[in-house]
Amino acid sequence: MPERLIVQLSYLIKMEEDKSKSGTRREFVRTAGKLLMAVPVLALPVILARKTDAKGFVWQIDPYKCTSCELCKSSCVMTPSAVKCTNAFPMCGYCDFCPGFLRQGAKTYDTSAENQLCPTGAIVRKFVEEPYFEYTIDEKLCDGCSKCVKGCADFGNGSLYLQIMHNLCVNCNQCAIARVCPSDAVIRVQSEEPYMRKELKKS
Amino acid sequence: MKKLNKYLPYIVLVVLFIWHSVLYAQQQRFPRPEFESGYTFPTHQFLNQRGPMWEFMDVAVLIGALLVTSWLALKKRSRQGLIWMSVFSLAYFGFYREGCICAIGSVQNMSMALFNDSYAMPLPALLFFTIPLLFALFSGRVFCAGVCPLGAIQELTGFRKVRVPQSVERVLAVIPFVYLGLAVLFAATESQFLICRYDPFVGIFRIDAPYTMIIFGSLLLITGIFVNRPYCRYLCPYGVLQNIFSRFSIRHLTISPAECRNCRLCETGCPYDAILQADPATYVEKPAEPKKKSLVYLIAIPVLAAGFALVLYNLAPSLSVVNNNVKLAREIRLEKEQGIKAVSKGAIAFFESGRTEEQLFEKEQQVIARFRKGAPWVGIFLGLSFGIGFFRLTVRNIRTIYEPDRGRCYSCGKCYKFCPVKINN
Amino acid sequence: MKFSEKEVKIFKGISLTAGVFTAVIAITMLFSLIQLKKINPLDNPSVQSVKEQFDMDPENRDKAEQVRAMDLMARKAYFSSRWQVETGSYLLIAGAFVFVLFQRLIEGSEKPSRSLQPGKPDIVSERIRNRRYLVISAGAVILLAVISSFVLRSELPAPGKTSVIKETAGSAPAAADELAVPGDINYPFFRGEGSRGIAGGTGYPTDWNGTEGKNIKWKITLPIPGKSSPVIWGSKLFLTGAGNGECVVYCIDKNTGDILWTGSASGFPGSSAEEPESDAEAGMAVPTSAVTEDKVCAIFGNGNLVCFDHNGKLIWGKNLGVPLSSYGYSASLVAFDKLLLVQYDSQDKISLFGFDLNTGEQKWETPRAGRPVNSSPVLTAFSGQPQLLINGNPNVSAYDPVSGKELWSLPGVSGDVAPSVAVNSKMVFTATDYYKVIALKPGKNGSTVWEDNTFTPDVSSPVASEQFLFVTTGNGDAACYNAETGDTLWTHYFEEPFYASPIICDNKVWMLDRSGIMHIVAAEGTLSVISSSPIGERADCTAAFSEKRIYIRGQANLYCISSD
Repeated sequence: MPERLIVQLSYLIKMEEDKSKSGTRREFVRTAGKLLMAVPVLALPVILARKTDAKGFVWQIDPYKCTSCELCKSSCVMTPSAVKCTNAFPMCGYCDFCPGFLRQGAKTYDTSAENQLCPTGAIVRKFVEEPYFEYTIDEKLCDGCSKCVKGCADFGNGSLYLQIMHNLCVNCNQCAIARVCPSDAVIRVQSEEPYMRKELKKS
Repeated sequence: MKKLNKYLPYIVLVVLFIWHSVLYAQQQRFPRPEFESGYTFPTHQFLNQRGPMWEFMDVAVLIGALLVTSWLALKKRSRQGLIWMSVFSLAYFGFYREGCICAIGSVQNMSMALFNDSYAMPLPALLFFTIPLLFALFSGRVFCAGVCPLGAIQELTGFRKVRVPQSVERVLAVIPFVYLGLAVLFAATESQFLICRYDPFVGIFRIDAPYTMIIFGSLLLITGIFVNRPYCRYLCPYGVLQNIFSRFSIRHLTISPAECRNCRLCETGCPYDAILQADPATYVEKPAEPKKKSLVYLIAIPVLAAGFALVLYNLAPSLSVVNNNVKLAREIRLEKEQGIKAVSKGAIAFFESGRTEEQLFEKEQQVIARFRKGAPWVGIFLGLSFGIGFFRLTVRNIRTIYEPDRGRCYSCGKCYKFCPVKINN
Repeated sequence: MKFSEKEVKIFKGISLTAGVFTAVIAITMLFSLIQLKKINPLDNPSVQSVKEQFDMDPENRDKAEQVRAMDLMARKAYFSSRWQVETGSYLLIAGAFVFVLFQRLIEGSEKPSRSLQPGKPDIVSERIRNRRYLVISAGAVILLAVISSFVLRSELPAPGKTSVIKETAGSAPAAADELAVPGDINYPFFRGEGSRGIAGGTGYPTDWNGTEGKNIKWKITLPIPGKSSPVIWGSKLFLTGAGNGECVVYCIDKNTGDILWTGSASGFPGSSAEEPESDAEAGMAVPTSAVTEDKVCAIFGNGNLVCFDHNGKLIWGKNLGVPLSSYGYSASLVAFDKLLLVQYDSQDKISLFGFDLNTGEQKWETPRAGRPVNSSPVLTAFSGQPQLLINGNPNVSAYDPVSGKELWSLPGVSGDVAPSVAVNSKMVFTATDYYKVIALKPGKNGSTVWEDNTFTPDVSSPVASEQFLFVTTGNGDAACYNAETGDTLWTHYFEEPFYASPIICDNKVWMLDRSGIMHIVAAEGTLSVISSSPIGERADCTAAFSEKRIYIRGQANLYCISSD
């Protein structure tokens, strides 16, 4: 890098001149050194200008790459995690037997604790009309563990998905979840489009 | 519809038995319901962060703070003022902005943007990187003095003064160079942001962090009560850059407001031993040594550079393990060759993804090649820094006055009260 | 700022209190953190065990109450611990702030101590010392560099030398581009020769009725039922069955229907006495056997793999480990050259095995990527190179049947993958229900040619001729596509779902639905239903064709349909 060479050069010049103990020459070198140091500091931004984005990035989970590995809950630097689950209602099947709400092997389809999948009880089930039920996530209780996401993806329509909530996320320089995500699903997105919603696919 | 109703109980039954299944969640297994009661989908509002334009406000505050700190350190010479500046920076850049984005971390953004076409660095980060360095060229390490929140929290909690022996100080001062080199290398290969990961104080600023970070930060602060500014002296990678730039500063903090009278009263005034002491007047300079002999020692610099470059080139594959692709590839290879099962979440996701081992190993080779290209440069940097730093010690000039070491002085102003010289105004 | 002695004393007291307070809070939080890590309320094993107990006795209201109480406790513990951490952190900060503030006030009132440093060495000796250090360190670094060059040799293979077999055939099309039409005697695998779904011969009857006995040459009841399809070599027909802890292989004379011998496939080292849990509908005898000129091999859902000669003598047998499969292990066997090829799909491992036909020795195992499937392998050749194709999730992969090395892998279907691929001489077709039908150009540089998701099979495998692709679905639909372009040429709704795979034989497509009716249509681009013949009982197995006779395994009986 030019910086290092310049440092080396200026030091060499300085060493040589020091021998002669000439004050004015030293002063000249020092000024020259200062100018030389200023060059990369000013040049780098110019070089990088085309690679700079004024608008900035935020982090988000790509719901189509997510494998419900449960690391979002424990890897986020915030407690509780800034990752919360959300339901894409247009995709939801509104099923009585919701595989994201009821755990495997649930014998009855109700809201009793022995049948619920969510460990914090964050999914709220509301009857709409026969045979449809509406499922919403209480974000105050959700801790982003992705168990319901896995259930819905495996046996349902895949309408439950995790997203990083930007009112909670502190937007670290490198997201701690992104560092450990096994399927590289956490990516930088433009801050104007901070959410990657799941949409109904047109077949 | 009738067909579906016929199959719905069958599907439910089968589902009750199923254990394992699909990865890509794009199946619409259950069709959209057709509501007869006039139900409409609830609209979900996602909340947003504060707008990105506020980051430029932070840049403005940064410039203002740097200007005020420069004036306080160089012109007004007020230690109290600098303390209050530290309090302000701790409050604003530390607790309010929660320590991110900071100038120290911006080094990584620079590195990643320079060496990767796919990443564009945010403009505020670029400004946070360059502006403190520009001020270093003008007035010395004023950023470290009263603007950097990490420096501020250490400054404010440094009550006692314990001297560190010079030899220990010199050895420990090598660490920031290594840290900087590795941080730039890891960021350039898109492996990790090392500085952000091991930032000890950001957890305290957020009042929320994994407990290991909090413990590390607290221990460092407690150490800092006695050995002041431990992070700045022995860890901060940005400090390396501030050090180098500050040596060429146009103006710098001086211990005496006017001329130095060699009264020797400031000798113990700096907790960081950054005061360069004048040599005894009785000293007589021996005749100048022939240039050839000192040139021999000059050769040590490129030799060190080459040596370190070679060492780091050989270390490159071991260093590359920080990259997720390389780590995964090693795990998979271990399973293939020695039968140790790959059970990490990354391995499971890899097996389910349908990526071939061939693709993975190819990616691994690419990453290692990048490390092999970049690591020698880190070695050269380390070698040059080490060599030049040492060489300077072998050809030291005679000093006639007491002045701060421009590279290492943090412009904190603790030495002001030791100097008896007063300006009569 | 100067403070009086008394004030300084007070400050000292306050800061000490604050310091102690902070330390106490810190230690308390640390302890509660350790507790939290140990107990882990939301994933606690004791809560799990209570839930499991409830599962075993779901009607018990008391157990349900227990689960609810424990769950509530767990959640309370979790949320209260979170609250504790939050308030604790604020208390810590507050205490630390007070401590620091008062310490600074104390420090501010202390006088600066000015003392002189002890004498230091003079410059010259300093310079000499430093030069010595410089030379020593330079030497040390060189030594380190040299040592590290030898010690830290990279053990990774150099790039470009990874073990991948290059395609043997060149770009010029080989002579044998067209797949040979199978012979009319042997029907060695699940869907005929190569398991491609094409049968040989002509003159097969199209009209029969199982209840009336029309054109039914013989019908036998198998003592132990199973879901595997019949395979034929010469005059012998082979089936497997499993039930009541027994796994058997039947050899039946195809002309008379006599059971010539019954081979037992139980009791191998590693095989368990109990049946592994699986779909009750499937059972252990789902995979179809493979028969060669002198041997017949069978595999069962408990992992037992056996090889008999045509006279019923057991040549070798082993257990591969129980393949855990939710729908029931179902991959049929194929054999190529001297190897028996096993597509092994279990929840904990998926691979392709090659066993020596004579000895049963495992020659190679190729691990496969992706998730387990219920499809069966297909043997075919492209550009003269024999390839074994597996319809995997999410890729369709091809392997060399001799060495097991993967030749190519292209993105295919995802979900519950049970159908096997259909092939013709140029293309590979993959499909599964709730996803799509995808036509691929095979090979390392292959790609998707067309896709369609209107008619997708859940169990039955599609079949392709050079011009057409025929698909039968679990809804009862049958569709014909233009193999090259994917245009839908005709569709027909046959009412009953299809599980058995359609077979192309004698320029007709033979589609057997679950109610036992064989729908025969012309293998053409325009719909022409030739006939629909029932066997009179439910049928899920694919039919076998040999020498003008059709063999259909129904739920309980095996039928031989012949017009003579």
